[in-house]
Amino acid sequence: MANRTDPAAKSIRGTNPQNLVEKILRSKIYQNTYWKEQCFGLTAETLVDKAMELDHLGGTHGGNRKPTPFMCLVMKMLQIQPEKEIVIEFIKNDDYKYVRILGAFYLRLTGTDVDVYRYLEPLYNDYRKLRQKLPEGKFSLTHVDEVIDELLTKDYSCDIALPRIKKRWTLETLGSLEPRRSVLEDDFEEEEEKEENDQLDGLEEEAHEKQDYYRGRSPARERDRDRRRDRDRYRERDYDRDYDRDYDRERGRGRDRDRDRERDRDRDRDRDRDRDRDRYRLRDEKDYGRDRERDREWEGRERERRDRDRGRRRSHSRSRSRSKDRKDREGGEHRKRHARSSTSPRRRDGAEENGTREEPKKKKERKEKKEDGTDHPDPEIAEANRLRASLGLKPLK
Amino acid sequence: MIEVVLNDRLGKKVRVKCNEDDTIGDLKKLVAAQTGTRSDKIRIQKWYNVYKDHITLKDYEIHDGMGLELYYN
Repeated sequence: MANRTDPAAKSIRGTNPQNLVEKILRSKIYQNTYWKEQCFGLTAETLVDKAMELDHLGGTHGGNRKPTPFMCLVMKMLQIQPEKEIVIEFIKNDDYKYVRILGAFYLRLTGTDVDVYRYLEPLYNDYRKLRQKLPEGKFSLTHVDEVIDELLTKDYSCDIALPRIKKRWTLETLGSLEPRRSVLEDDFEEEEEKEENDQLDGLEEEAHEKQDYYRGRSPARERDRDRRRDRDRYRERDYDRDYDRDYDRERGRGRDRDRDRERDRDRDRDRDRDRDRDRYRLRDEKDYGRDRERDREWEGRERERRDRDRGRRRSHSRSRSRSKDRKDREGGEHRKRHARSSTSPRRRDGAEENGTREEPKKKKERKEKKEDGTDHPDPEIAEANRLRASLGLKPLK
Repeated sequence: MIEVVLNDRLGKKVRVKCNEDDTIGDLKKLVAAQTGTRSDKIRIQKWYNVYKDHITLKDYEIHDGMGLELYYN
């Protein structure tokens, strides 16, 4: 029968490889016309031809969740179970990006942890565009490295629950993997050297840096841009994206790194996403720590204000230790800033935040004190409101 | 605030409290939180009408205590 797995195939994760795709989705694929027409009697060679014809990736779409041809081909690969060499060839090939993604997806489903990291991480350097079909039926733009990132960090992609793999730092401590080396590392080292040279000229630059802070960029980036105008365009792009990815997350801009170093280190170790972050941070700590010490007197206040607006978690710790100072120094002005900054239900711990929110809401005191109603007298409703807040919905009326 | 009952006829019967102006997509998220399935795997129907994600409960005239059918994608 056409839907049976190849009898010579090994079982994956203790079960028929086709069972990696769950029952409902599997039935949908078997009933799909693309599967019935094109995927009948495919072998590894003919599968490559079909894969080259792919032009989008995705899971299921539409009201009755129709699977994409990409899904059907993944299923076919699970059914015939090609050799590892073939899959690696799929990944290594440079010409057809959808063949690459197909191979990467299959390896993520069936490969061992070490293999997954070893073969998928080089694909981070591929920044080509991909077309992705969304569940609503529309197409969206994504990139190869974004998809790989999703495969390595999330546990659900293209409507298939990805098997659990060990976190990277676990494998590093076990010694099976080496710490991650990014391709951009050489560039970072050069940039560091330049920064060190710049710090000697320090003072003149501070005027510059002030502007940088206000614009919300890291000083390194500004300096990069000035100095590297004639560098490869595409490397700039990688920079920007890498910087965005790194700096936009909770890590922060390295301003009071020396203070939060211990805390950050522990936190970062626990997080799986910061695979390469340890490296960057170790290096950054040396540089930024030094720089900041000098600037501290000068720009301490302004930086705090800015950091509070931008970084959530960092200011969280800072507000606790420094709330008195800030109140004395800045009084009403800083309160105003706080009211303008975005708040989230999670940030109820800081005394500042509650103070500013309750002031405008004092008129509505007859209703719940907190915005999302999680302190409603009826415990059931309070519970429901807490769930709703975690999902991002407004409280019950 | 209304309470809607969702039944999948296979043993899962779920009562969910929600607002009338919540969309079906929000309702699916609440159901997913209670049942443990993913919200995009859930399909809410009434006889053969599959309810769409972007329309509110009020527009579908779903009232308090009404029963809906829970299916999976």
